[in-house]
Amino acid sequence: MFSKALFKQSMKANWIKWTCVTVATCVMLAIVIIALGSLAIDNIRDSLKTVFAQADQESVLKESTIDGYELYNSTGTFEDSLETLKVTNIYGRNALETIWSLVKSSYDAALNEFQVNNEGAELNEENLEIVKINARDSLLELLNNMLPNLGQTIPGFQLNFSEEELSQFVYIMLCAYENNKTASDVETMATEIENAYADYVYDMAYEMFLQQEDSTEDLAKASAEASKEMVKVAMGNYSKETYSEEYFKSLASVYVPETLIYEQVLRTFGVDDTSSDEERAEAEKYAVVSKILASTSISTYELWIEEYTKNAEKYPEVKDVKESAREQASASITDQLNDIDEEVAIALKELGDMDIYGLIIGNLFYRVAGILLPMVYVIMVANGLLAGQVDSGSMAYVLSTPTKRRTVTVTQMTYLMLSLLAMFLILTVVSVISIWIVGGNDFTINFAEILILNLGAFLTMFAFAGFCFMCSSIFNRTKYSLSIGGGISIFMLVCTILGLFGSDVVPLAMRIDQMNFFNYLSIISLFDATSILTGGISWLWKFGILALIGIVTFIVGVFCFEKKDLPL
Amino acid sequence: MEEKEEVIVATDLTKDYKNNRGIFDLNFTVYKGETFGFVGTNGSGKTTTIRHIMGFIKPQKGDVKVLGMDSWKESCEIKKYVSYVPGEIAFPDLTTGIAFFKAQAELLKLKNMDYCNELIKRLQLDPSANLKKMSKGMKQKTAIVAALMAEKDILILDEPTTGLDPLMRETFLELIKEEKAKGKTILMSSQMFDELEAVCDRVALIFDGKIIDIADINALKNSDTKAYKIEFISKEDYLKFKKLKFKIIRDQEKYSQVTIQIEDKNINRLFKVLKNYELKFISEVKFNLEKHFKEILAEKSKGGNDVQ
Repeated sequence: MFSKALFKQSMKANWIKWTCVTVATCVMLAIVIIALGSLAIDNIRDSLKTVFAQADQESVLKESTIDGYELYNSTGTFEDSLETLKVTNIYGRNALETIWSLVKSSYDAALNEFQVNNEGAELNEENLEIVKINARDSLLELLNNMLPNLGQTIPGFQLNFSEEELSQFVYIMLCAYENNKTASDVETMATEIENAYADYVYDMAYEMFLQQEDSTEDLAKASAEASKEMVKVAMGNYSKETYSEEYFKSLASVYVPETLIYEQVLRTFGVDDTSSDEERAEAEKYAVVSKILASTSISTYELWIEEYTKNAEKYPEVKDVKESAREQASASITDQLNDIDEEVAIALKELGDMDIYGLIIGNLFYRVAGILLPMVYVIMVANGLLAGQVDSGSMAYVLSTPTKRRTVTVTQMTYLMLSLLAMFLILTVVSVISIWIVGGNDFTINFAEILILNLGAFLTMFAFAGFCFMCSSIFNRTKYSLSIGGGISIFMLVCTILGLFGSDVVPLAMRIDQMNFFNYLSIISLFDATSILTGGISWLWKFGILALIGIVTFIVGVFCFEKKDLPL
Repeated sequence: MEEKEEVIVATDLTKDYKNNRGIFDLNFTVYKGETFGFVGTNGSGKTTTIRHIMGFIKPQKGDVKVLGMDSWKESCEIKKYVSYVPGEIAFPDLTTGIAFFKAQAELLKLKNMDYCNELIKRLQLDPSANLKKMSKGMKQKTAIVAALMAEKDILILDEPTTGLDPLMRETFLELIKEEKAKGKTILMSSQMFDELEAVCDRVALIFDGKIIDIADINALKNSDTKAYKIEFISKEDYLKFKKLKFKIIRDQEKYSQVTIQIEDKNINRLFKVLKNYELKFISEVKFNLEKHFKEILAEKSKGGNDVQ
């Protein structure tokens, strides 16, 4: 069944081809792995990823800044009124005391009424809220009755609140009273009101941010905190001289990023309490950029408001104007991409998520480039082992000795399989060494995966070897053996190249889905590199099919050769 | 006659390649120690017959038995007794003649290379030459050495002398005669009648896939019937001679020439007759296989025409 002499003869006839193909393929593989590893192609991917992460952060930052600014800006009138109540204002002193006493009586009355109606009820936060709402409603009623001549009732008190603002104002006063019921001097009262106002802004900001798209509790808290800080600082420094829109702007662009950046944005870049000074310095760089971004976004926001206010027909409501302006001013690079074409944005995102090692090594090298030369070897050698020798007539010298045809086929088949196996064993060693050299966590292909990839490439070539061997056995003429065996093999390889452009390993930007059709024409599709690299198991049964193709075609080859006429 | 051992027996051997190509109902027997020749034009079926004997192709009908074994079913076993020189010379993908001989020896499980070396010397072959760069004659010599070196009982040679120069052909024919003297059974095909005539005991003429005739060279050569060509000086003598009852096999009136066939025992009668004639010359016409077969073919086609 096996002839050592013939095996030696086949080795002598083919060792040059074998050596050339093995060396060339190994060199190619080593260059691919080492080049990929040392050039760190993943940097591109990482920076793309960072761009998108930063774009998201940028968007949040801008939105928060604008919201904070808007929130604070909208309470400008409140500030104005508060000014009149301030301790420093001599006219406000009496007014504050008057209002404080009004608030005190309303609150006490409401509390009393609540306690009478709900005997034994605990005075928890929820119930106190009800008390405050009741007190606010009764106080508002009283104030509304008094409003037309409020100026006379409370000297120095000039209100130009809207109804809603008045309700807010009253509620804040109630909160302030609740926090410190024993406050007797004006200084304390003013501080309590300021604190209550800051808390109110915080709650409002929190609610507002939570309602936003993609908002998290963390972000809402951070933004609300920033707004509260702004209010506090603003009130602390408040004076008519410094009051201006510019001042609000700078407050917003300082406090929002301060809070947001350090607590939230930078956390996504891996900076926390345990970070080193260097990392903090790096983070602060981002913070500076963020401040600039924040202040720019506010300017942009105002420009857009101005722009939209001009188009009165399109935006009749102030609310719409602000909403649109906010949207425009907070747009990040990804939002702008979305405006151009959603596909482009997805494609770019996918480019960022792409596994470049898997694509180049798994799909491009092991499924196409790396098996091209072994395939040429298989086509040439399989043909030369049988059909070539029958065609030339040299097989006569073997078969005129007491050597069975089956011995010939089995020996030649063994040579073909062993030479392929040796080739891929060497390739495996080279690939493992190359990966060991480049090493590192950045390299996404591990040793187990590279071993399976090598096995897959071998099984693919095993199937082709069987097929070519069968053709070589069936045909007496080299031209038929080569054109059927080699032709179909090369056809399948080309289909795999074309099919690559339709498979999902290629980024969307260069993918043509219809090209996926070619993958159905090639048995190389059974070598599922993507499944191997993504930790699937479907590659396993596909490997089985490849092995089966090889075994069946080899056996068919052996039997065909025994049955046919040989022109020797 | 003593019982001769049958070595190769073909029975109704048929392989139809369509379009009147192939071989049809071949029957022949090659006996032990005999040198059997196949002669025929290109495509007449010589090589196809030899491939059947070697077991390379399967007969459609009939069979070939070598030493009693079926050539298709037991082709491997038969190869233990058969050496072969293929008609088309193409060597395995090896570098030199030496490498080739060594590889063949391994396949043949042959240890002793003495006879091989002797053959190389006899044929003046340079075995260290590159196989691919060999001339046609060199290749032919290499193939012959590879076949002869195993010293098997049966030699099958498919047109072994093509490409050899006349001197080499002489040497080769000498070799064949030596092998024959060793008692080997030889079957060879050729397009050259003279070389078959020189070495073969019997020669089969194959034409259009059929054996037309098997000539026994020895019998023909040593036949007691000979042919003589006679040219007369005068036309009258020529015409007068023709009226005598000699068997005339060729008549050339233009030259006043006749060729007659006459048994040895009647030779004196001829000379007595010829005493009275004026001859230009008389010469014996030697036996010639080519002529012999041509005559047969001519008769055959005449017969064929008659039928039509």
